[in-house]
Amino acid sequence: MNGSSDVLTLFLFNIVLVNIPLLYGTVGEILTEKAGSLNLGVEGTMAVGAIFGYLAGCATDSLLTGLLTAFAAAGLCGGLFALLTVTLQANQNVTGLTITTFGLGLYFFVGKGLGERWPAMTDVPALVRGFTAVEVPVLSRLPVAGKALFSHNVLVYLGVLIAALAWWYLNYTKTGLRLRAVGENPAAADSVGVNIQLYKYVHLIAGSGIMGLGGFYMALNMSGSFEGSNCWINGYGWIAIALVIFANWNPLLAILGTLVFGFFNTLQIYAGALAGAFPGALGWLNALPPQMFKALPFLITAVVLIATSVRKREGPGQPASLGLNYFREER
Amino acid sequence: MEERYAIEMRGICKNFGRVAANKNVSLNVKPGEILALLGENGSGKTTLMNMLSGIYKPDSGTILVNGQETVIHSPEDAKRLGIGMVHQHFKLVDVFSAADNIWLGDEHSGPLLKKNRCDVIRQMAQKFGFDIDPQKKVYNMAVSEKQTLEIIKVLYYGAKIIILDEPTAVLTVQEIDKLFAVLRRMKAEGHAIIIITHKLNEVLEISDRVAIMRRGESIGTVDTAQATEQLLTERMVGRKVTLNIDCPTVEKTRPLLEIRDLTIRNDEGATAIDHVSFYIRGGEILGVAGIAGCGQKELCEAIAGLRPIETGMMIHKGDNIVGLSPKAILEKGISMSFIPEDRLGMGLAPSLSITDNMLLKNYGETKGPFVDRKSGRAAAEQVIQELEIVTPSTETPVRRLSGGNVQKVLLGREIKSGPNVLITAYPVRGLDIHSSYAIYDILNRQKKDGVGILFVGEDLDVMMGLCDKILVLCHGKVMGVVHAHKTTKEELGLMMTGALDLSSKYADKPAGIARDSRIEEVEP
Amino acid sequence: MRQQPLLRVVKRDRAGLPVQAAAYLTAILAAVLTGAVLLLIQGVDPLDFYGQMFTLAIPGSRYPWRMVENYIKLFVPLLIVSLALALAFKMRFWNIGGEGQFIIGALCASAAAMKLGEQLPQPVMLLVMSLCGLCGGGLYGVFAAGLKVKWGTNETLLTLMLNYLALYLLQFFAETKAPWNLFLDTASARPKFARFPDSAQMLLVPIGPFRLNLSLVAAGLLCAALFVYLKYAKGGYEIAVVGDSPSTARYAGMRVGRIVLRTIFLSAALIGLAGAFYVSTAGILSASVTNDVGWTGVVVAWLAKLNTLGIVATSALITVLQYGCQTASTSYPAIDANFANLLQGVILFLVLAADFFVRFRIVVRGRNGKEDSK
Repeated sequence: MNGSSDVLTLFLFNIVLVNIPLLYGTVGEILTEKAGSLNLGVEGTMAVGAIFGYLAGCATDSLLTGLLTAFAAAGLCGGLFALLTVTLQANQNVTGLTITTFGLGLYFFVGKGLGERWPAMTDVPALVRGFTAVEVPVLSRLPVAGKALFSHNVLVYLGVLIAALAWWYLNYTKTGLRLRAVGENPAAADSVGVNIQLYKYVHLIAGSGIMGLGGFYMALNMSGSFEGSNCWINGYGWIAIALVIFANWNPLLAILGTLVFGFFNTLQIYAGALAGAFPGALGWLNALPPQMFKALPFLITAVVLIATSVRKREGPGQPASLGLNYFREER
Repeated sequence: MEERYAIEMRGICKNFGRVAANKNVSLNVKPGEILALLGENGSGKTTLMNMLSGIYKPDSGTILVNGQETVIHSPEDAKRLGIGMVHQHFKLVDVFSAADNIWLGDEHSGPLLKKNRCDVIRQMAQKFGFDIDPQKKVYNMAVSEKQTLEIIKVLYYGAKIIILDEPTAVLTVQEIDKLFAVLRRMKAEGHAIIIITHKLNEVLEISDRVAIMRRGESIGTVDTAQATEQLLTERMVGRKVTLNIDCPTVEKTRPLLEIRDLTIRNDEGATAIDHVSFYIRGGEILGVAGIAGCGQKELCEAIAGLRPIETGMMIHKGDNIVGLSPKAILEKGISMSFIPEDRLGMGLAPSLSITDNMLLKNYGETKGPFVDRKSGRAAAEQVIQELEIVTPSTETPVRRLSGGNVQKVLLGREIKSGPNVLITAYPVRGLDIHSSYAIYDILNRQKKDGVGILFVGEDLDVMMGLCDKILVLCHGKVMGVVHAHKTTKEELGLMMTGALDLSSKYADKPAGIARDSRIEEVEP
Repeated sequence: MRQQPLLRVVKRDRAGLPVQAAAYLTAILAAVLTGAVLLLIQGVDPLDFYGQMFTLAIPGSRYPWRMVENYIKLFVPLLIVSLALALAFKMRFWNIGGEGQFIIGALCASAAAMKLGEQLPQPVMLLVMSLCGLCGGGLYGVFAAGLKVKWGTNETLLTLMLNYLALYLLQFFAETKAPWNLFLDTASARPKFARFPDSAQMLLVPIGPFRLNLSLVAAGLLCAALFVYLKYAKGGYEIAVVGDSPSTARYAGMRVGRIVLRTIFLSAALIGLAGAFYVSTAGILSASVTNDVGWTGVVVAWLAKLNTLGIVATSALITVLQYGCQTASTSYPAIDANFANLLQGVILFLVLAADFFVRFRIVVRGRNGKEDSK
């Protein structure tokens, strides 16, 4: 194997490794939005899931406890969002933004507060082991793609599995069908006996929980090192909101979208290396500003958003009642 | 032995804010019976039925289902109790297929969406004699298809008590026949059916009994076998009461507003106003009678420039006003006020004060960047005084006022603007006698000043007292223009329900076309 | 027999002022108490911490005036942005693009400062910067509004995306060393923002030891102007009508699309102006120029119920929270400025909850089917 193909493999490998949290965040937000709620608190929810998941994982030396705690802590954020917007009829945008402010505040409060007592991931064998790559038999021996796609830690596979399950759930189960109806036309769903409040609560909590898993992943990916100035989540929550639109509210497309957004995200880091490895074919990468790669996901999403609104209809994934609260006796 | 009712409602009351939608209403229906619920729009039929389907909860009163006292908290409860309702405004998810819309509420076939669900639905539909494509998306469906889907949906859920809110309004004659055949079959199978309608011929054709509502109260029930169109009409619109409304005689001018061959579509795309012609002279009040919801709203909106028209002409003092902006029409002196059922929907900004609402149409006329609140307040004070509006102050938000006072604010503003054509729809909706008379006086004063008034009304007695002429609409078509003081309530009632058509009574003078028309003056 | 539920929710007109005041005060108090509990858990004396926080650590400070000056630096942008957002929210246009509009305004103003700073005298320069900020922010905002009016594009999501486009544009300028990049310090080998020429620095009026930031005066005037605009001007009247009932606005002959465009331009332009004021006060552009003011502004506007005077009070309070926390945390290593965010979140949650009791009424089922309300 020569050096340049190593760079390429590493680049592709990192597209997956670094960006899987986006998939968690996106799938979580898709479930939330399919219930008709626009939760702008993804960033904060992921941060809460990350820190509590990590701390619980360290305290118990168990990957599973970490995952469950991350899910539960982030799920609580979702529950709070549901309580405020569904039961108390508060504005969704404001509530979501506040979840982010609050979540990040809590993240730093807890992290700073622990100070010297902050646990290092290297002392926690279960987490280190949990984040080690597991080679998929046979497939991982494929050239380039083997290492890039089939030689990852279990949480990568879990993320893809959750996305696939969410897709199946939305399209092939009756609860999924009802959930979509709640997001499209709550009055119609209500009139045939779908319990709107229950559906919203369950999916807002579950959606936030899944975002929390993504946060937990980021904690491990950052080797659990807490920095006072930068949150682990680092804007991934906002990209996830964009990705939901890009993926047209479809969890399977979200996998693809994660790779596309991840490609730009990672290219920004690997541009120099790739240009060096393939000076002939990719030398021009050096000439491009790295910020362009960061901005591209948002630019593409804005274009998609505008294009779909211009075309109207034609099988849109965007739930018709997104962002609107439902009050049955409203006239 | 006492008969068991499928549904029995006793003493139901329901208020929306200060408006009483149902006052002590009682109603019952037996299994194997079709009950027609008759009444004008706004008489509280739909509200009453929504309490059976779990959309609203009654403020007081009891509901018995199969003899058991029950509280229906939600549509889920209603479904479990075997109550199914086909709403007038369809409750369908547009992006779903027909089958999926039905599958939403299915509770028997397990948690997965079966591949064969379309076939199941198709077979079910065929069994009941309906023909639908289960895979068709709702947004691709015609209105009648959506209606059919709603009915199939209810049947699929196995409802024993079926409520249909104006099911025939959007169906063709053949489809109505099919629907009635289905209803009769279901009746034979022991279903209890409540059908809301105001088409008398259908009531007589399909129902066993008729329950009649007027202004939120139940008027009584008659067996269909003993009912005639006259009897039902009389009950529905109320007995003739002697009202002493002034109708001053005023010298009439040439037509101010002429409508010729006007066709308008409603929001659903159906024809709301169908080749209608009429004219209004200065110094006269032209009443528009008709069962509510047969094009009045669309007509008012079209004249005010708020709704595009399909065909036809609208000529004001010899000028074509078709295609003009609402503002340009206002400036011509045509004022429109429409009191919708919720009373606040159009014409007023409910959170703003009386002063601000006074300024709504003329705030732009003053010079400078500021709103002239002083004149607004003066106008508000004047209107409050003249129309005896009860309010804490001129700065009270309109939504805090009681219904009658809200209406006076709206009408007062319209009159203050000094229009030459005044279009007013339901200005006395929900008002007590005293306030109503105040409003009639206002209109009569305008009439004496030479204003042409189009009065869209509900109460026939009032219209016969107040108006000079009455135009009768039935499903968007003109049934005739009659002299208000020469006609009878029975005649009007028959025309409103489509049983009597006087539109071509005089061969030499078609209804609604003035002899001294100014239309010829208009450039084509 | 099934019974009426014990509690049910009914919409109400709006509670009276005492109920509102009580509900909101309780909410804020409860938030502060929650914060105290959290502080105790961290082993921090809440009384001492809050004491320092709410006084901005001014008592006992060697440079008390400095504290006030720094407070004003943070207060002015938040105040203007919140006011501007409220303008849009009043019309039910969910402009959450404050961050982006602020950045574009700051960038435009900085460009003017770097390009013309040497030639123009200070007052003229400041005026030019303000104008650039206004136009930059306004055009950026009106882009989203235009799409909304024309095609009904979801403005919440679009303005959100535009925030990040602006942010990365700013980063691009911050990190790209090139001859055309007029924002950078040419003397430095590494990319570094250049300080503005002196004439592009915000005017500071000395009052004794205190130097009054002119942008505070401008913000004050702006507040008054907006108050007047919303309350007395035709434009403000139109905003109120369109926000209350678009169908009534159309009925009254208003051109709703045009009013939306105009108002959003104004809203975004003011946010851009805030950006211009901020960079001019700082005297230098920075990659984190917004201080999250676009996000916080949404919360402030909402907390204040879009009321102009309420926004002045709320943004002053939130700035106390943020700046006070920053200063107080210097004596407590376990706490940092993010505690303010935490507290701000709790306050908003509780206020939103309190809001519910203002907007809705809980009806309790009494005996014999009668209902009592409270």
